[in-house]
Amino acid sequence: MKQVVFRLIVASFIALLSATVPLTAMAAGESDTPAITEETIATAGAAPTINIDKTTLENGGTIKVSGQAPAGMPIYLEVWAEEHTVKSNLFDSKKDKETGKIPYIFYITEEMPAYYKIFVPKEMQPKIDAAKKEGNKWSYSALLKELGADIAYNVPAAAKVDRYQATLMASVIGSRGKLLDPMDAKENRKRSMQLVKARFRSVGNVVSADINVSPDGAYTADIKIRKGLSPGKYKIVALSSKELKSEPAVFENRISFPTVYMSNAGTSMNLVYPFVLCLAVSIFGVLMGAGGGFIMNPLLITLFPALPHTIVAGTVTPTVLFSQGSGIFNYSKIKFISWKLGCGIGCAMLLGGFIGPKLTEMITLDQFKFAFGWILIVLASLMFWQTTPGYIAKNKKEQSILNEFKKRALEATKAKS
Amino acid sequence: MKVNFWGQEFQVNMWVGCLGGFLIAIMSSMFGFGGGPFMVPLMSVALGLPMYLVVGSSLLAIFFNTTVSTMRHYQFGNFDLIFFLAMFPAALLGGYIGPQIAKRVSPLVVKRVACVGLLLLALNLLGVY
Repeated sequence: MKQVVFRLIVASFIALLSATVPLTAMAAGESDTPAITEETIATAGAAPTINIDKTTLENGGTIKVSGQAPAGMPIYLEVWAEEHTVKSNLFDSKKDKETGKIPYIFYITEEMPAYYKIFVPKEMQPKIDAAKKEGNKWSYSALLKELGADIAYNVPAAAKVDRYQATLMASVIGSRGKLLDPMDAKENRKRSMQLVKARFRSVGNVVSADINVSPDGAYTADIKIRKGLSPGKYKIVALSSKELKSEPAVFENRISFPTVYMSNAGTSMNLVYPFVLCLAVSIFGVLMGAGGGFIMNPLLITLFPALPHTIVAGTVTPTVLFSQGSGIFNYSKIKFISWKLGCGIGCAMLLGGFIGPKLTEMITLDQFKFAFGWILIVLASLMFWQTTPGYIAKNKKEQSILNEFKKRALEATKAKS
Repeated sequence: MKVNFWGQEFQVNMWVGCLGGFLIAIMSSMFGFGGGPFMVPLMSVALGLPMYLVVGSSLLAIFFNTTVSTMRHYQFGNFDLIFFLAMFPAALLGGYIGPQIAKRVSPLVVKRVACVGLLLLALNLLGVY
């Protein structure tokens, strides 16, 4: 009996000992990734670990990321907005080097994360500076390869990219073109990279050399999340290779009124700014005698470069619609409109207004700014010409007739009622 | 084409008018504005019409343009509701406050200031500074 008990005690003691060994090994390693411990002992390179110092941000801030990568291997951080996606489109009108023909294919995705950035080790800063020097011609895919960061490029590659074959006929009727078959994964990935650049535009928005790596593989990084980004959950993944990646760390970006997230635009903005700007511009427009649309657009684009130009164009247009409508209403009340003339030219403008918005998608922001710059110069000279004495003299006579008509019209309507 | 307005008849060249209107419409809907400041010189210079006829009719013409353009932009998903709601009340307010101030300000001076402002903005867009 005593022997059995003794053997039992020894057996349980041995069991206890053999259980504590892996337990202490686990405690010695990182506390948040217990599943990796066996791999740490078994394989030479193990998946990186990741820790973040805070899990909520109030409209941006800095997150301190730290962790352990396998010694000697590179480490990258892929950061993206999980909860919000935005649209990105690209019109391929560049001559293909091999065939010499222009493809005229329109690429579009609705699944681009509202925020996407890859962080690389600090030593790689010169490569990023070299890409910045290229100005607008920088290539996102080439930069990723150069930094070795294409292993970290995962989330947008999975976004579904549609492509349309644009034709002259299709442009005339205002359609995007014929929807082509879906691309294979490799082509989808390549085009998604172009769409990332199309959406986020500058090098600094998509890559940053902020990771400090020490020789034993431990790394730290300060991730700065700027103001005005989309709210909700964001994820950070640390990667050393295609297979070796950490569990995602999650943080939440919170915004509060009057900062509001505009889902189509993909940015959060303090709504007071566009309100005040629009107020100033519309008052000015009334004083000047012309509408406000052509001033609102470039002002919004220069003051808030985070807004995509398609959204600006599309949202300013209905804003001026109502002032035009009320103007027409007021004028028609005093019978001051020639319906025949207005509708006649109006029908031609109907067609033009049908084609125009599709073209907005197809030009890049820089082309937009360039064209708009020239338009404004033309407009400014037109308006200046309207203030020259010769024009005024000719106009005075017409203005007096105009006022005369207005008076008569007002009296006529008053007499009727 | 003949147009009748308050007892006076005008000869309007509709080919020029419609072509010009069409081109202006494409450009202005592409860039998101109404095209009014382009239509007025078109109608007064190219069509030779007097100002009192041009004012209301150009407004009507660009109304067509703006309406169709709005629908198309919405179709393409270029319209952001919250952004619009932030600006729309301001536009209404401006349309109300503007005429109150207009009586006390010389439109000539305002136009000159606007010219300078537009030029500066254009230079900014073109990347000069």
